[in-house]
Amino acid sequence: MSVGGTGPRAPAPAPIIDFHDVTVAYGRRPVIWNVDLEIDAACLFGIIGPNGAGKSTLLKAALGLVPLVGGRVRFFGQPLGKVRSRVGYVPQRETVDWDFPVNVMDVVLMGTYGRLGWFRRPGSRERLLARESLDRVGLADLASRQIGRLSGGQQQRVFLARALAQQADVYLLDEPMAGVDVRSQEGIFRVLAELRAEGRLVVVVHHDLRTAAEWFDRVALVDMRLVAAGPAAAVLTPDNLRRTYAGHIDVLEELGQAVAKRGRTP
Amino acid sequence: MMPFDIAYNTLVVAAGVAAVGFAAGVVGGLCVLRKRALVGDAAAHATLVGVACAFLITGRRDLPMLLVGALLSAFAGLGVLVLLRRFTRTRDDAATAIVIGVSFGLGIALVSGIPAWGYPDSAGLEQFLLGHTAAITARDALLLTGVACGALAIVALICKEAALVAFDAAFAAAAGWPVALIDYLLVALVATMVVVGLPAVGAVLVTALVVIPPTAARFWTDRVGPMLLLGGAIGLVAALAGVVVSAARPGLATGPLVVLAAAVVFLVSFFAAPSRGWIARRMQQARLSRTWNLAADSSPGPASGGPDC
Amino acid sequence: MDGSGIFSGGHAGIHAWAMATAAVVSASCALVGTLLVVRRMSLLGDAIGHAVLPGIAVAVLAGGKPGGPLVFLGAAAAALLTVWLTKGLRAAGGPAEDAGAGVVYTTLFAIGLIIVTAAPAGTHLDAACVLHGDLAFLPFDTVSVAGLAIPRGFIAGVIALVVVSVATVATWKLQVFTAFDAAAARAAGLPVAAVTTGLLAATAVATVSSFDAVGAVLVVAMLVVPAAAAELLVHRLHVMTLVAIALAVVGACVGYVAAWHFNTSAAGMIAVVLGLEYALAVVFTPDDGIVARAVAGLQLAWRVACEDRLARVWRAEEAAVGGDAGRAAIPHGLLDACAGWWLRRDGSLERVADGWRLSDRGRRAAEMVVRSHRLWEAWLGRHAELPLDHLHPPAEWVEHHLGAAMRQRLEAETGWRESDPHGREIPPEA
Repeated sequence: MSVGGTGPRAPAPAPIIDFHDVTVAYGRRPVIWNVDLEIDAACLFGIIGPNGAGKSTLLKAALGLVPLVGGRVRFFGQPLGKVRSRVGYVPQRETVDWDFPVNVMDVVLMGTYGRLGWFRRPGSRERLLARESLDRVGLADLASRQIGRLSGGQQQRVFLARALAQQADVYLLDEPMAGVDVRSQEGIFRVLAELRAEGRLVVVVHHDLRTAAEWFDRVALVDMRLVAAGPAAAVLTPDNLRRTYAGHIDVLEELGQAVAKRGRTP
Repeated sequence: MMPFDIAYNTLVVAAGVAAVGFAAGVVGGLCVLRKRALVGDAAAHATLVGVACAFLITGRRDLPMLLVGALLSAFAGLGVLVLLRRFTRTRDDAATAIVIGVSFGLGIALVSGIPAWGYPDSAGLEQFLLGHTAAITARDALLLTGVACGALAIVALICKEAALVAFDAAFAAAAGWPVALIDYLLVALVATMVVVGLPAVGAVLVTALVVIPPTAARFWTDRVGPMLLLGGAIGLVAALAGVVVSAARPGLATGPLVVLAAAVVFLVSFFAAPSRGWIARRMQQARLSRTWNLAADSSPGPASGGPDC
Repeated sequence: MDGSGIFSGGHAGIHAWAMATAAVVSASCALVGTLLVVRRMSLLGDAIGHAVLPGIAVAVLAGGKPGGPLVFLGAAAAALLTVWLTKGLRAAGGPAEDAGAGVVYTTLFAIGLIIVTAAPAGTHLDAACVLHGDLAFLPFDTVSVAGLAIPRGFIAGVIALVVVSVATVATWKLQVFTAFDAAAARAAGLPVAAVTTGLLAATAVATVSSFDAVGAVLVVAMLVVPAAAAELLVHRLHVMTLVAIALAVVGACVGYVAAWHFNTSAAGMIAVVLGLEYALAVVFTPDDGIVARAVAGLQLAWRVACEDRLARVWRAEEAAVGGDAGRAAIPHGLLDACAGWWLRRDGSLERVADGWRLSDRGRRAAEMVVRSHRLWEAWLGRHAELPLDHLHPPAEWVEHHLGAAMRQRLEAETGWRESDPHGREIPPEA
C-alpha cells in the first residue's frame, strides 16, 4: 500500500520473531490465548508473568516443542524449520539429568551438532569453537569436569556456552536465572548484554520483577494472554502489573476446562 | 560327528551368543541413558506370542521364522504401549505392566496350548521362556551374529544423535533433530536385541541382558563412549559364562546363568569401581571429613560446595 | 461346547475349587493392586511378583509347606529385600529407580530359578510351575478341615484375602492419604514409610497366595490390570477398589472356563481375559472412553454447525440487506447443510420467498450465540493486547463454549457496555 513516492518501496524487513494469534493447549485445554507479538529489533527482551502463566509454554510453542492449536510463529519471516541454525535455545535446568555421563566439553560440543548434521563427529574446528564459548562464560578450566559436579550457576553457564556454540542470531532462554546465585546471575547477564551488543536478539523468560526492570530493554507481560508489550519502562506500570498478577485468569481457566470437556461453561 | 565338527559348532555358537551379549549391552546402554530401561521388558514379554504364532503358521521350529514372529509381536506390544500412553488416562508404569502381563499371558496360553492341541515337534517352544543355548545350531548362531553386528553398525552411526536426545531432548528438538524418530529407532534396536537374545536367555530374563551390563558399566566411567563399550564387554562376558556353564550341565536353562554372571559383575562394579564404587565413596567421605575436622580445628569453617563460581 | 459342560461329568468339584481359588487370589491381588497403581508402583508390584521366588524356594527347601506360614514369611522377606536393595542402590549412587529395580528383580528371580532347578526332585518346586502356575493341579493337594477335603491353595488364598482385607481396611485412611500426596502425609506426621512397607508386605502376601495358581510372571496381570480398568471406569478410590475386585473375580472365573474350553493354561487365559476387560473399559468408559469421546466430538460439531447457521442468518438480517438472507443460507459444506435441514424441521428457521428467516425461537437462540461472540470480543479487547481485526477469529470458536452465567460475568467485567469493540450492538440476555 505505497502512497505516492517515486518508485516501489522496499518491503519492511520481517520481524525477527512474529507471534500471530498464537493459541496453545495442553491436551484439549487452552493455556495460552490468542497472543499477538512482534519483536523486530535486536534487544534484551523479557517475558514476565506469574507462575503457571504460560511464559515457558509460549517459548516452547515458538520452538515447536509444544503444538499450536491456533495461529503461527515466524522467525525472520520464515517458519522455524527453515532457519533453525539461526535460533539458539537454553532450556530450563530441571529437564536434564545431571548424573549423565558427560563432561562440560561434551555438553558444549552438542551445540555444534546442528551444523554438523547426521553421522559426522565433531572435529578440531568444533572443539575450538566450544573452547571459545567456554572462555566467554568463564568455565574454560572446567572443561573435563563431569556436569554433576558443578554448582547451579556453573551448570547454567554450561548451558549458555552450549547455546553460544550454536552461533545463532536469536537466543531463547527459559528461566536462566532460576536457582542461580547473584554473582552468577550478573555474569550471565553480562554475556547476554554482549550478545545484544553484537546485534543478536535475546529473549528471556524471567520470573523476577525487580531485576526485569533493570535488565531488559523491552518486556512482554503474559498471563495466559498477552497483557501488554513494549519498552520496559512503559509496560511495567502498576496498572499493567496489577492486571497481570492479580488477573482475571479464572475466566480463562474455566473456559479452558469447558473447551477441554467439549461443552459450555455453566 | 567328528570331534572337529563339535568343536566348530560350539565355537560358532559361543561366538554368536557373545556377539549378542555385546550388542545387547551396547544398545541397552543407550536405553538406560534415555531412561527407558524397562521398554525392553515389555518387548521381551510380548515376543512369546510371536514365537507361538510363527510356529502355528509354519508348523516347524525354524529359528529365523520364529524370531521374525517374535520381532513382529514385540513391535505390536510396543505399539499397544504407545497407544495406551497416548489415548488413555492410564499411567505410564501401569501401561507397561499391563502390556507385560497380558501379552505374556497370551503367549503362555499359546505355548501351553500348542502341545495340547496335538502339534508334533512343538516340544521345545518352552525353551524360549528361559533360554537354552544347547539348542542353537551353528547356522542359527550365524544369523544372530549378523543381526547383532547390524545393530552395532547402526549404533555407531547414530551414537552422537542418540546421546544428544538422551541427555536433553528439549534442546535437541528445538535444534531440529527428529527426537521421536530417534526414539523409535532406539526402541526398534532394543526390540531386535531382545529377540536375538531369546534363544540364549529366554523371554523372561532377556531384559536383564539389556539392563544389567550398562548399569554395571556406569560405575567405571563418566563418558558415554566408554560406558557403551564396557557395557557391551560385560554383556559379552555374561553371555559367554552362561554358554560355558550350560555346556558343562546341558540340562540347565541358560538364562538364569547368564543373568547371574551379569549380576556378579554388577556387584563387583558396585563395590570396587574406583571413584564411583561404594568402597571408593566411603573412603572419599572419610578423607573429606578428616580434612574438614582438621580445618575446623585450625581455621574458620571452609566454604561449602566446590570452587566458587 | 458351552460353559455348563465344564461342570458336567465327574470333575465338577475339581473345577469349582480351582475357580474358587483363582477368584480368591485374584481378589487379593486386585485389592492390593489398586493401591499400587494409584501410587505409581505398578512396576514395583511386577518386581515383587518375580522376586518372591527365591524367598519361596528357600522356605520350601527349609521344610516349609507350600501355602504355609514359612513360605509367606520367606516371600515377605524377599519382597522387602527387593525394595530395600532398589532404594539402597539409588541412595548409594547406583542406577535410577527403573533400571535399579530391573537389576534387582531379574537377579533375584534368576537366583530363585537356579535354586528351583537345583533342588532335589520331589520338593514340589518346578520351573514351569514357577512361570505360569498350575491351577489345574491345585485342587488335588488337599487338607482335611472338619472332615472335608479342601485344597490347600484355597485355604491359603482365603487366609491371604482376609489378612490383606483386614490390613487394608484398618489402615484405609492412611493408605488413601499417602497415595494421593505422600509428601503432605509425611509433613502431617503420618508414618509414610511404615504405610508403604505395609503395602509391600501385603503385596508379597497376595503374590504368594497366587503363586501356585498363576506363577511368578502373570501375577502382575492380576495386580495391575483390574485396577487399571477400574481406574478408567470410576473416580473414587474405594469404589475403584470394589470394581477392581469384581473385575478380577469375573476375569478369573471366565478365564478358567476359557482355559478349559481351549485346553490351555488357566493362568494365561485369566491374564488374557483381564486384558479384554481392560480393553472394553478403554473403549466403553462413559465419560472418557473411545466411544464416549467420539460421540462427544460429534455432538460438539453438530451443535457448532447449528449455532453457526443460526448466527449467520441473524447477522444477515441485522445487516438488513434482503438478498443477503438468502446468501446466508447457502450451505458451507455437508454438516452445515444437515444443520440447515434440521433447523428447518424443528422450527428455528423458516423458508421465505427469497431465502430464510428466523422464527422467534430461532432468533432467541441466534441472539445468544451472537451475544456470546460480541461479549468475548469486548472482554478480549479489554484484557489482552490484540489489534481490532484479531478479535473476531477467537470469538468465532469461543462463542460456542459460553453459558449464561459466564456471559453475565463477562458483561460485568467489561463494564456493562452495550456494544462490542467494533461498535456493533450486543444483544441482551434472553
